[in-house]
Amino acid sequence: MAIECLVLGAGQEVGKSCVVVKIGGKRVMFDCGMHMGHHDSRRYPEFERLLAGGGAADYTAAISCVVITHFHLDHIGALPYFTEVCGYDGPVYMTYPTKALAPLMLEDYRKVMVNHRGEEEQYSYEDILRCMKKVIPLDLKQTIQVDKNLLIRAYYAGHVLGAAMIYAKVGDAAIVYTGDYNMTPDRHLGAAHIDRLKLDLLITESTYAKTVRDSKHAREREFLKAVHKCVSGGGKVLIPAFALGRAQELCILLDDYWERMNLKIPIYFSAGLTVQANMYYKMLIGWTSQKIKNSYTVHNPFDFKHVCHFERSFINNPGPCVLFATPGMISGGFSLEIHQLSFSPHTDSKGIMDLTEFLSPSHVILVHGEKPQMAFLKERIESELGMQCYYPANNETVSIPTTQNLKINATEKFIMSCCTGETKNNLQKHGRAFGGNIPEGCSTEGEVEGILLMEKSKIPKILCEDELLHSLGMEKHLVHFEPLHSSGIEEVKHTDGSAVQQGSLGCE
Amino acid sequence: MAHPHLDVFPSPRKPHGPREDSLPQVPPSSPFPPITTGAAGARSSPAAPAAAPTMEEAQFLASSPRATGFAASSSSYCPDPMDEGPSVSVPGMPFAEQIRAAGRRASSGSPEGLGAQVQALASMSRGIYPLARAEALRSLAAVLETADARGGVVEQCYGCAAVLMRDEDEGVRLATMRLIVLCADKLNEGPDGDSHDHQMDIMFLQLSSMARDMCTKVRIEAFNALGKMQRVSEGVLLQSLSKKVIKPNTGSGSIIKGKKVPPKLIYPCAAGIFAHGIEDEFYQVRTAACKSLGALSKFSTQYAQKALDLLMGMMNDDTEAVRLQTLQSVFHMATYGCLSVQEMHMHMFLGLLVDTNVLIRNSTRKILGSVNLPKLQMFKSAIDVLITSLEKHQEISMSSDGELILDKPRIRALLIVSISVAFSDVKHNKLDIPEVIFSCAISLLGKISCAIGEVVDQNSLLSYLCQRTGIPFWKTKLASTESGESKGCSIETASDICAQIGKTGKSTKSVDEILAMQSVKSIIETVERTWTMRKSSNIHDVRTILRTCQEDLRILASNSSGSTRALLSFLCEYLDAVQFIIEILRSIQLDNSYNLGPTSLNVLLEKLDVSIRRMKCCYAGFNREMEIQVCELALLANLFELSKVGIHSKLVLDKLHWVINRLDCLCADGSSKLSYFSREIKKAFDANFVGHDIFTLLELFHPKPKTDYGMLKAISADLQVRDNDSENPSPYVCGLPVGVSYHISLYNISSQDRLWLRMIVGESIQHTFLELSCFGGNDEVKSGSMIVPLHITPMACSFVLRVCLVMECPFGSVSVHQEGNEGPRGSIVELSDELDVYFVCTERR
Repeated sequence: MAIECLVLGAGQEVGKSCVVVKIGGKRVMFDCGMHMGHHDSRRYPEFERLLAGGGAADYTAAISCVVITHFHLDHIGALPYFTEVCGYDGPVYMTYPTKALAPLMLEDYRKVMVNHRGEEEQYSYEDILRCMKKVIPLDLKQTIQVDKNLLIRAYYAGHVLGAAMIYAKVGDAAIVYTGDYNMTPDRHLGAAHIDRLKLDLLITESTYAKTVRDSKHAREREFLKAVHKCVSGGGKVLIPAFALGRAQELCILLDDYWERMNLKIPIYFSAGLTVQANMYYKMLIGWTSQKIKNSYTVHNPFDFKHVCHFERSFINNPGPCVLFATPGMISGGFSLEIHQLSFSPHTDSKGIMDLTEFLSPSHVILVHGEKPQMAFLKERIESELGMQCYYPANNETVSIPTTQNLKINATEKFIMSCCTGETKNNLQKHGRAFGGNIPEGCSTEGEVEGILLMEKSKIPKILCEDELLHSLGMEKHLVHFEPLHSSGIEEVKHTDGSAVQQGSLGCE
Repeated sequence: MAHPHLDVFPSPRKPHGPREDSLPQVPPSSPFPPITTGAAGARSSPAAPAAAPTMEEAQFLASSPRATGFAASSSSYCPDPMDEGPSVSVPGMPFAEQIRAAGRRASSGSPEGLGAQVQALASMSRGIYPLARAEALRSLAAVLETADARGGVVEQCYGCAAVLMRDEDEGVRLATMRLIVLCADKLNEGPDGDSHDHQMDIMFLQLSSMARDMCTKVRIEAFNALGKMQRVSEGVLLQSLSKKVIKPNTGSGSIIKGKKVPPKLIYPCAAGIFAHGIEDEFYQVRTAACKSLGALSKFSTQYAQKALDLLMGMMNDDTEAVRLQTLQSVFHMATYGCLSVQEMHMHMFLGLLVDTNVLIRNSTRKILGSVNLPKLQMFKSAIDVLITSLEKHQEISMSSDGELILDKPRIRALLIVSISVAFSDVKHNKLDIPEVIFSCAISLLGKISCAIGEVVDQNSLLSYLCQRTGIPFWKTKLASTESGESKGCSIETASDICAQIGKTGKSTKSVDEILAMQSVKSIIETVERTWTMRKSSNIHDVRTILRTCQEDLRILASNSSGSTRALLSFLCEYLDAVQFIIEILRSIQLDNSYNLGPTSLNVLLEKLDVSIRRMKCCYAGFNREMEIQVCELALLANLFELSKVGIHSKLVLDKLHWVINRLDCLCADGSSKLSYFSREIKKAFDANFVGHDIFTLLELFHPKPKTDYGMLKAISADLQVRDNDSENPSPYVCGLPVGVSYHISLYNISSQDRLWLRMIVGESIQHTFLELSCFGGNDEVKSGSMIVPLHITPMACSFVLRVCLVMECPFGSVSVHQEGNEGPRGSIVELSDELDVYFVCTERR
């Protein structure tokens, strides 16, 4: 059995994440994103490839389920298109926060697309709502049995509110698709967290395949120092803040600092942004970092002490202040990239290596990154961790062999021989030292010999040497060799061969 | 025939188990090749010591298709990592405990038994049950603790630990790390510790790689373990700070000092482990990382510098515990002299000086006090901010219980600085320093005036201080003596002065003494608080608090004299006793079996006994309250004896009877009342302890030290032998008696006391009675010289005589009759320190 991984998007590029993995006959689509840089057909993944050669009539038949990792448009943007325009009608999974925030993001983008750029509408608001109705929400570490064989489970990924890494398993084959994740915690979001799993394949993002970031403390320190210096000199600080996430992060940082330094200078936050974003954060406390969860019982950290609502009339107020300025629309998705330079919620190269080492999969596929950096990371993974690594381009397929576990039975005698043989050894060795009082089940390492019997319609079983004939219902043959003269060598060889044939009869 | 991907299914650890290629790959040159797990067959052998399965069970376990690891871990339950119960506990007495107990008895006498033990445990550590594996590792640790590091035992343990480092069970991983640290310790202790440097590096890297674990507890443990490592090479240390892999042999030689080259990074995730640790989501992990950062920085200056950069970032942490730990780590670095503060760090330190949190400010001041600032500018800015901070928060380092510790030189310096500034700087004239500080400053007058120098003379300074303190007396007195400085104040008579002192509510004693008594009060309050929190809090904290109190008392005692001094040293003894009681109560709670022979409990009981005896006998002039207190302590000590033995020995009961009688006697006239504790004991004693649980009785005790002890006198003695030290031994002839000339001073000894000279040579003891009539002097001090013959000279070319003055203890002398034994009757207390007298044999011609 093999795992086939078809990369429809985010192969050697960033944008329109979409990976379709075929495990044990099941096809799972991870993420269904759009590319923000294109405004033609290239903006969506080439879904038609799913139907080509597969023999499936429509997408619902071709795909077992769609799993969305988080609400960024390059991971979810094409979903309404896929479900409402292409007609996929199967299950769609995403986490609760993603389900809550996704319609906002999608609708906002649709508006920008139609109203500002005057493009043709790809899908309507109703499409988004209909699409969202098909979504089945996931909770962290909740195992969902999609069908009889396929199960999926979400793990915490950091990155943004509600981001998840997805574990999928069919039979013995198991993979993890990370989506975007962050291995270092923020103030308001935790670090990615996953169990030790036995994996055949890990599909990981590689935005920062080559970058190793320094401690964020230094950057925070610089930031605070600069802000403090400015306000203590009577200046006004303007911080551009975008959408969900980073603004809260900076706000918590400043609020803390203000508290500790006992500063009284006002921090303003434009009302619209605060209300909307903080409302979601207050609701979704369970998806934030440990620190927030801890303090939540006493005080909701998103009720900032020193942050007040900004009124337009304040702009001419004298005296120092700090102002979080909003760029207005979430269309600033591009500005978001620029902002990421300083406080990025993506993991760095070290984080990718750490996660890969922790999970120790047999194979690694890199997506969501740039080609040269991915090549560099591939080299590292292969040389340092000794794993096979690929970074396919869009629309390429990678096929990976999987291990297969085979159930076998063992005879009673074989198991007995496993333990008693060892225990006896020990007794002889250490009996004196222990005064004959050896703990039971104590065994030293060693190998046990047995014969594996694989018969056609039966479960294979392992047994002891002397049980073999009995279980086959055969009699014991004894072959004696007579010493021969040198003239009869040919004959000897002949006899020898037949004896071997006889002896190996039972082991086919 | 065989399937290419065949995997024996019931092999229980395979589904989640460590992959062979992720096992630690120790280079072949290493002295410890890791013991790799055997073939699948060996793994599936059902070795489960904790469950001790019978053969049938074993078969069942092996043949029943066990749920795969996947199903087992697929529950949707998502616990908070910090709230997870201890998954590693095993019901029943843990094997590790047994080993420890056994280890104490049998020690590590037979290396053969030890080897077998280790081997057995090692094989158990490869069992299929995670709890059993963890227990096996803990037991190995227990064995290792008791054993000495010979015969490859350490290597074997280390091998076990290395194999299980990547175990799927967190309990096992935790145990692994503890074992590795212990191994490292043992290797360091061992005779050829230096030869293991390379091994240390590998261990360090292994532990580092554990610090990226997904389990919080494992991460905490990993950082704690890293902090305990020693002799790690600089290259490896530096690598632990930098996420980027530092390549050996590429840069200049500055990275690699000496010939040691850091081993190739076997574990890629070991790089920059501290950079990760300080960014961790859980503050417990961050705290541990900070602590280890500080602890390791004593090994390398380069490391210390970079660690300081990291720690600087931690000062902005959102958790107070982490910030405090950071400061503590920096202080630790400063103590080891590896802290070099640069200009770029100053901003942070100065910010911390004006932090709203008092603890943070305190720690920062502590650090600034112990660091050398390289530039004058930095120093000046530090002082400026320090003053602002003092101005703003009106404080000078208070100790945790709000008491001013004047004895710390740094505090003095601070005081001096703040006051001198008030004097010399017009800008700071409005300095609002609380009165109490000025009153404290009075005692430091000399130093302050010295600091201010020419600006102002001592007298006007003093008058200023007094004015601030609100003690008009001083000012007027000065004014009266210094006519030139007179400011028109009326000269007051001595009686007026006395009246004013009375008004201020101070006693007629000097300021020092008042301060001392105030400190004593607050110390006593602290002790009482500590007693109430003894159960809820960590024993180490309790110990630390009590020790600090004692320390303070000792310092106070060294500055005082007469009855105050006696009182302070008595309180010291009292605190000693309280500490012993707390320790005893704790060890009783921990373990109810006393049948293991002499244990630390016995030692503690003995110490308590000695301490009580000293309190009883070494002080004269008790009032009644005080004697009652000491008697209660004695009651408690006897009760401990009873609870220990289990059966009620006649001797102990007699002693108890004596104490109870004495208490009755003291309270007979009704001026004092027996405490509830004593009354209950009395009841129980009268009922012959039938129906009374001794342990509940023990709980009734509560220490109530008092300060109004009246005029206490300390009974003590001073013993000297002139012209004798290890360089100038006295001569003697083998086997013949030798005279030793002592010079003895006795303080507050009454004529009824029976004093003995106890002389010990090796195993033999000689007691000589001291005739008090030989001494001249008054009741307070008697002194005299005497020559005492020593009969027990050994047949040796030289020996050391240990001499001590002891006094018979008249209380509680329910006589332990020692037939035919010369020397003091009953129990004794030592009055003097033990003195060593050196003798050398003169050669006979």
